[in-house]
Amino acid sequence: MTPQLQFFMILGAVALLVIIFAFLKRGLMSVKYSLLWLALAVGLVIFALFPYVVYVLRDLLDIQMPVNLVFFLMFCYVLVVLLSLSIAISQLAEKCKRLTQANAILEKRVRDLEEQK
Amino acid sequence: MDKKILVLIPCYNEEENIVNTVERLKEQCPEVDFLVINDCSTDNSAALLQSRGYPFLDLPVNLGIGGGVQCGYLYAKRYGYDVTVQMDGDGQHDPAYLHEVVRPVLDGQCDMCIGSRFITREGFQTSFMRRVGIRFLSGLIHLLSGKRVLDVTSGFRATNASMTAYFAQHYASDYPEPEAILAASLAGFRVGEEPVVMRERQGGVSSISSFRSVYYMVKVSLALIIDRFSIHKIRGGKA
Repeated sequence: MTPQLQFFMILGAVALLVIIFAFLKRGLMSVKYSLLWLALAVGLVIFALFPYVVYVLRDLLDIQMPVNLVFFLMFCYVLVVLLSLSIAISQLAEKCKRLTQANAILEKRVRDLEEQK
Repeated sequence: MDKKILVLIPCYNEEENIVNTVERLKEQCPEVDFLVINDCSTDNSAALLQSRGYPFLDLPVNLGIGGGVQCGYLYAKRYGYDVTVQMDGDGQHDPAYLHEVVRPVLDGQCDMCIGSRFITREGFQTSFMRRVGIRFLSGLIHLLSGKRVLDVTSGFRATNASMTAYFAQHYASDYPEPEAILAASLAGFRVGEEPVVMRERQGGVSSISSFRSVYYMVKVSLALIIDRFSIHKIRGGKA
C-alpha cells in the first residue's frame, strides 16, 4: 500500500467522522444509525495505520492488489448498511401505516361525538 | 337476523361512483351498516361523503388498498361486528349478491367467503389477459396451500369475527386480495367461494393499469411464496 493511499484513507476517515459528528450535533441523524458509519471510519483508520492487517487479509483471500481488498471490503460493508436501511424503512412504513389507521379511527370517533352535541 | 354486519367500501378517487354504490347498497340491504374508507382521495370524494352524511374513515395519508381495508377490519373488530364484508366502491360489485356472500359465513360454513365471477361465468368476466393472470395466481395458491379458489383477485368477500381479527393484525399492503386468501388458508381458516355476477366498473380508472400488471404479477407471486414459509397454522380448522 502506497503512503499516498494511506494518507487519503486517513483523510477520508477523518472527513467521515467530522461529517457524522456534525449530523449528530444538528440532530439530523440518530446515534443508532451513526454507529454503522462510525465503525466504517474506524475500520478505515485501522487499515491506513496498520497496513499489515490488509496484507494478511489479502493473502487469505488471494487478491493481487491490497487496494482491491480495501475496495472489496468497503463495498461489502456499504451493502450491509444499505440492507439495514431497507429494513429500517420497512419497519417505519409499517409503523406509519398503523399510526394512520389509528388516527383515522379516532378521527371518525371525534367527528361522531361532535355531531352528537 | 340480529347479527351485526359491516360493509367496508374502499374509496380512492371514486367521486363518480361512490354515491351510486352506497345508494344501491342502502336500497338493497337497508339492515346492514356500511363504512366508506376514503384513502386520501385527491378528488372531491371526502367532501362528497361528508355532505351526504355517510359514515366514513378519512385516512390522512394514502395507504393503498391493503392498508385502507385493514383499517376497516380494525374498526369492525373494535366495534364488535359479527360479519365484515368488503365491497369495491366502483360499482363492480352488486349489493344484490351481498347475502349470497354473507350467508356461508353466518351459517358457519367458512371463515371467509369470496364472491366469485368464475363459478357460473355470468356477467362481466374481465379481459383475457387478466383471466390468464388470475388463473396463474389461483394455481399458485392451490399449489402452496392445497386450497382451490377460482376468483383470487375478487375484492368482494365476507369474513367472520375471528377472520376479521386476524386481518386486523396481518394484512398485505400493496395488492392484498390473493395474499389474504393464502394467508387465511395457511393460518387454518376455512375459505369458501360463492357465485356472484359482477359488472364492469361504472366510471373512473382501475387501480391496476396494464403497465403495472407485470410488476403486480411478480410482486404477488413472490409475496405468496414468502407467505408459504412465514405463515403458520394458528387454528385447528381444515384449510
